[in-house]
Amino acid sequence: MIQPRACLAGLLALSLSPIQAQDNKASALAELSLEELASIQITSAARHPEFLGDASAAIFVITSDSIRRSGASTLPEALRLAPNLQVARLDASQYAISARGFNNAIGNKLLVLIDGRTVYTPFFSGVFWDQQDVMLEDVDRIEVISGPGGTLWGANAVNGVINVITKSSASTQGGLVAVGAGNQGRDASFRYGGVLGGGGTFRVYAKGDATRPVVQTGSAAVTDGRSRGQMGWRADWVDNGSELTFQGDVYAGATDSRGLFGRFDLGRVEASGGNVLGRLTRKLPAGQDVRLQAYYDYTDRKDAFLYQPRQRVLDVEFQHGVPLGAHRLLWGGGYRQARDDIRPGVIFGFTPAAASLRWANVFVQDEFKLTDRLNLTLGTKLEKNDFTGMESLPSARFEWKPSPQQLWWSAVSRAVRAPARLDRDIRLPPTPPFLIAGGPDFQSEIAKVLELGYRSQPSASLSYSVTAFQHHWDKLRSGQRPPGAQVQNMIEGKTWGLEAWGEWHAARHLRLAGGLSLLRKNLRVRPGSSDPEGPRALGNDPRHQWMLRAGLNLPHRQELDVIVRRVGALPDPAVPAYTAVDLRFGWTVRPGVELSIVGQNLFDGSHPEFNAALNRREIPRNVALRVRWSL
Amino acid sequence: MALWVLLVGLACGPCAAQPDWPNDESQIKAAFLYKFAGYVDWPEGFLGSVETPFTIGVLGADPIADELVQIVQGRKIHSRSIVVSRLKAGDPLEDVAILFVGKGDAARLKPVRGTLQAQPILVVTEEPAGLALGGMINFLLVDRHVRFEVALAPVEKSGLRLSSRLLAVAQRVHAEGR
Repeated sequence: MIQPRACLAGLLALSLSPIQAQDNKASALAELSLEELASIQITSAARHPEFLGDASAAIFVITSDSIRRSGASTLPEALRLAPNLQVARLDASQYAISARGFNNAIGNKLLVLIDGRTVYTPFFSGVFWDQQDVMLEDVDRIEVISGPGGTLWGANAVNGVINVITKSSASTQGGLVAVGAGNQGRDASFRYGGVLGGGGTFRVYAKGDATRPVVQTGSAAVTDGRSRGQMGWRADWVDNGSELTFQGDVYAGATDSRGLFGRFDLGRVEASGGNVLGRLTRKLPAGQDVRLQAYYDYTDRKDAFLYQPRQRVLDVEFQHGVPLGAHRLLWGGGYRQARDDIRPGVIFGFTPAAASLRWANVFVQDEFKLTDRLNLTLGTKLEKNDFTGMESLPSARFEWKPSPQQLWWSAVSRAVRAPARLDRDIRLPPTPPFLIAGGPDFQSEIAKVLELGYRSQPSASLSYSVTAFQHHWDKLRSGQRPPGAQVQNMIEGKTWGLEAWGEWHAARHLRLAGGLSLLRKNLRVRPGSSDPEGPRALGNDPRHQWMLRAGLNLPHRQELDVIVRRVGALPDPAVPAYTAVDLRFGWTVRPGVELSIVGQNLFDGSHPEFNAALNRREIPRNVALRVRWSL
Repeated sequence: MALWVLLVGLACGPCAAQPDWPNDESQIKAAFLYKFAGYVDWPEGFLGSVETPFTIGVLGADPIADELVQIVQGRKIHSRSIVVSRLKAGDPLEDVAILFVGKGDAARLKPVRGTLQAQPILVVTEEPAGLALGGMINFLLVDRHVRFEVALAPVEKSGLRLSSRLLAVAQRVHAEGR
């Protein structure tokens, strides 16, 4: 096992040797080869193209550089960088992630996409975070939108949308090897990109990781270590305003045998799957653009204890943008078909076990330039699902730019979380008589959302954004007293809060960033319901969380980054508040070879982030050494 | 605690001029201009004796000229010291071996295109129509990277020879008869 302290001392000894005077960056760049110059990414402090972008929404962009400098090695860890997300680690591989509350392991109000492919499972409208992975080195950016994205993204984008966008294969040419090892596990990734005939480019990658189990407080020896492998490819052709992309991945992973729970042998969880996706975007005359995308996704999860879903999804979507004078019209539609087959586990079953579901939607949105500084966007999506028929998701957004550096925006929207198989078809235990069953009349959960936001970039080195929101909830999922309990829609109420973040390029070599989110909830069970749990079953959320990040550029191509994050206490089940400090020291030894040491939860032996004291994991301190090598 | 002290110690070490945070587009293009010279052969005798400095002319594009001035200090191209000459439209192209035309200035190339073609001057542009307006190498932005495309026809006519390594790194190479 690597001794982190010995390695750190060694690196320090090497780097404290006499510092060569380096004239300036351009001069340093002139030392690179043609190929290296062609592979550098432009990052300019003065430009924030996404900052005062078109989206009148609370959108935070996690850049590829911030992912690298955070030392994150998995997608959920990278998501901690977004101040408008609540990320709680459950164990070695599971996470509870949400925006604006309602966080739990089966959180269902957040839409997550990787390159346009939905990765939340339709049968429970949530994300298996231990199944989703990307090669982080090839991620271009992650757009995190908190708030309803119904009109463009559809039902289930009630509290937010996470959009993971990978780099085009034209930007990932050549070879890259990334290896990490630490006390929590080890991982290795490899990617190679090249040129195809006809002006195309491609890349192929493979990655594998093994995570050690996390310590559990309380009783039994239940272990959650896991190993996983994934590989994939991507090909792109760009030609005169047309872009064609094909990509696909396959993965397989398994946890260790989880030990015994009472008299049950929990066994392993095995998850595997694959997908293939094609996308065409084309610029047409008169400023029009068109986009067509289709994908097929297969997942298979074997968990003999809980339930074992196997599912196939086929999704096709289309959109067309047309400028018409002062208007910009965007319209389109989509169709999705999912076939799933859920084999029962010891605890849960689904009735019927196999089902085919279909969704179809059309949407239209008009962005109307009222004056030079005032924009009004009206849009609606109509989505039809097999449970509740047609749902409408309208929204109105208003934007005012008092000056080129400022933007006020406000939005009113209706968002909907349509039923999933979990709400209607789940049975506990798998065979009758049932203690708990899905409700045959379970309806969509409805949110009416009001938002007000302000973004400003007062100088080239400072930018910030503040958003206030209020969600009015109706028909939230509720239960009944068992036995024979059914899932119902009898919780309603209000959630409201504030999200703010900013970035300050404080000195030539120092960049500071911070974020804050506040949340208040007032939810109640409607009279006539016998729900024994009440709103606590819908999510466990802190009232506040904040983070501060500092990034320092040092001589000799070295970097130091610190992240301090504080998450408030979770109410029910009670989890104490915690403060975590993460540190990363990176050193580009020679062009194309980067070493880094990453420490997470440095001043904290371990702390829990979720779940009741009886059976939760304490997330430990983690130190890892990473190497990234461009061939 | 010891870990923290060690790391703080590193951060406070003596600091010479440090690399700027942003990877600026101008800096990358200036670095490319300097590097191109190493992959181009000028006709025998065109560059003059070894004492004659190698001249890079920059038309417009002051930020890139500024960066080039930083780069050329203490460096040589083909054993010659390097001079950066800031040009305005209409200036004579005396002794210029590489001409860089800034964004928006390529249109001024059009009238002198014929004269330029006869001379072994490497013309580099940075706008979409650059090659059509007489450029031999044109900078492109691909996904936040600075890349370049090459037009072989004007290169042929001028008597210059480009190394195959340069062509291999190019994003696109337009063969003759474009």
